[in-house]
Amino acid sequence: MSFFTDSFFSALTLMRDLDPELVTIVGVSLKVSFSSTLLAAGLGIPLGFAVGIKDFAGKRGVVTLLNTLLALPTVVIALFVYSFISRRGILGALDLLYTPQAIIIGQFLLILPVVATFTLSAISRIDARYRRTAMTLGATRFQTALVILREARFGIMAAVVAAFGRVISEIGISMMLGGNARGFTRTMTTAMALEYDKGEFVLAVALGMVLMSISLFINVILNVIQGKGNA
Amino acid sequence: MLYTARNLRKIYGERTVLRIDELHLEEGIIYGLLGPNGSGKSTLLSLLGFLETPSAGTLWYRDKMINNDPKILLSLRREVVLVDQHPILFSTSVFNNVEYGLRVRGIAREARQRIVEESLDLVGMRAFMHEKRHQLSGGETQRLAIARALACAPRVLLFDEPTASVDVENQIGIENIIHTVHQEKKVSIILCTHDMLQTSRLAQETIFLFDGRRSASTHENIFSASIEEHAGQPWAHLAGDISIPLNTALRGPVKMAIAPNAIRIMAEQKDMADQGTLPGKIMQLTQEGTHIRILVDVGIPLSVRIKKQSFQDAGICIGDAIRVQCPSHGIQILGEDQAQRVPR
Repeated sequence: MSFFTDSFFSALTLMRDLDPELVTIVGVSLKVSFSSTLLAAGLGIPLGFAVGIKDFAGKRGVVTLLNTLLALPTVVIALFVYSFISRRGILGALDLLYTPQAIIIGQFLLILPVVATFTLSAISRIDARYRRTAMTLGATRFQTALVILREARFGIMAAVVAAFGRVISEIGISMMLGGNARGFTRTMTTAMALEYDKGEFVLAVALGMVLMSISLFINVILNVIQGKGNA
Repeated sequence: MLYTARNLRKIYGERTVLRIDELHLEEGIIYGLLGPNGSGKSTLLSLLGFLETPSAGTLWYRDKMINNDPKILLSLRREVVLVDQHPILFSTSVFNNVEYGLRVRGIAREARQRIVEESLDLVGMRAFMHEKRHQLSGGETQRLAIARALACAPRVLLFDEPTASVDVENQIGIENIIHTVHQEKKVSIILCTHDMLQTSRLAQETIFLFDGRRSASTHENIFSASIEEHAGQPWAHLAGDISIPLNTALRGPVKMAIAPNAIRIMAEQKDMADQGTLPGKIMQLTQEGTHIRILVDVGIPLSVRIKKQSFQDAGICIGDAIRVQCPSHGIQILGEDQAQRVPR
């Protein structure tokens, strides 16, 4: 028990003193996670919106595919991206392997279906009368689309927040594509795994507490968003 | 001419929900579109509001033939605004809702403020300007939807059953607004309802629809029935043991309408059951000009319309037990798709 409490209090000291290594690891994690979430939102929201609002042949197939991709394991995505960016891959010349960019690409592929599916679901729940009302009031197609997006905004924001929560806590992609290089591609989860392997728990516990705090913060935001949506 | 339609059809899947052979609507008039549920009123309003395109046929608006060019449809939608039966408000303030049509038209902010205030004044809702949508009642929502439509300064206003889901107080208020808008703003109005009294109060012209088609008058007392022969006489079985004798060569399931003006009311007497009359009870009396509308419960509600003089002569009042007779000439067979014709 004293082992745990010692680690816990030492971790608190690390956090209070803003330990440079801890700060660097958290910084890398936040940077790659924010970047991949931003990219996934940029593509996933329009994709989910288009699939949600348009009726086309094969729509059910696209929705099924997106739902299937939600369950894709991180190691499978990492392997897939690895096959493209490793030295022998067709993008090998870009030297992306074991860089933050490689992690961002992998995480982007991981959460693109999350953002698209949740956006699609949010759009599908929007009352058809919004579209009709905007049209009869003289809105162009683009203005009508904006109305629908606006009405679905809480659902879409929840999709983005959930996607961020998914990437900040994943380890497979960060480890396999980032390589866990200190100060460069070492994220909170890969650092925790390494510290565990070394039998050093203080930094791992500190990182775990930061991760839990971020997770708590994300859930608070989600609750606030959902609360506004229900108002 | 405001609208002209020829051979207008709207088909969903394999079902033709609207088939208007000819329609002419003039500018500056309040038209009442009357018909029961499923008669195609809302579909016709959607076509006239350019929110949907016809499956077949031609529609002219102010003597210009309408095609499916999105730019043309957008410019037309900016002249014609539809107020839904259950309007939905954007999840923002009352002000922003009314302002929406002006913003999409690129109207300057100062003008927007003025027009929004004027429109809210017209429907008596200026005090609600900064309220959120969820703070409004059903009647207020309906009035706000009218203000939102009025702010767009439309040439034509389409109302889809504007008072169907509001209380009597709001109903009177909304009818007054429609009347005022027509008088002061010279807006053409097409009002879809199944309330004949409302149509008679507001509309200058009435168009009847039934089963997607124009009809000479509105049908009332519409029932599903099965025509069967007993002792050489065809009888329409409506529900339970309610049967009416009629003169037809059809047998089997039909849809029929009984004209309220044709129904006769008699005081309850002995031995009348054999004469094809139905026992009933008077449930409601309403005056309609020179006529009295009587709602009779014969096991099913039956609407009867008789002259005021006849009503006074009959000396009947609410709760009285009576007998009604539905003469064959007052019964019209509407849907006979599944019935069979027998030689007479």
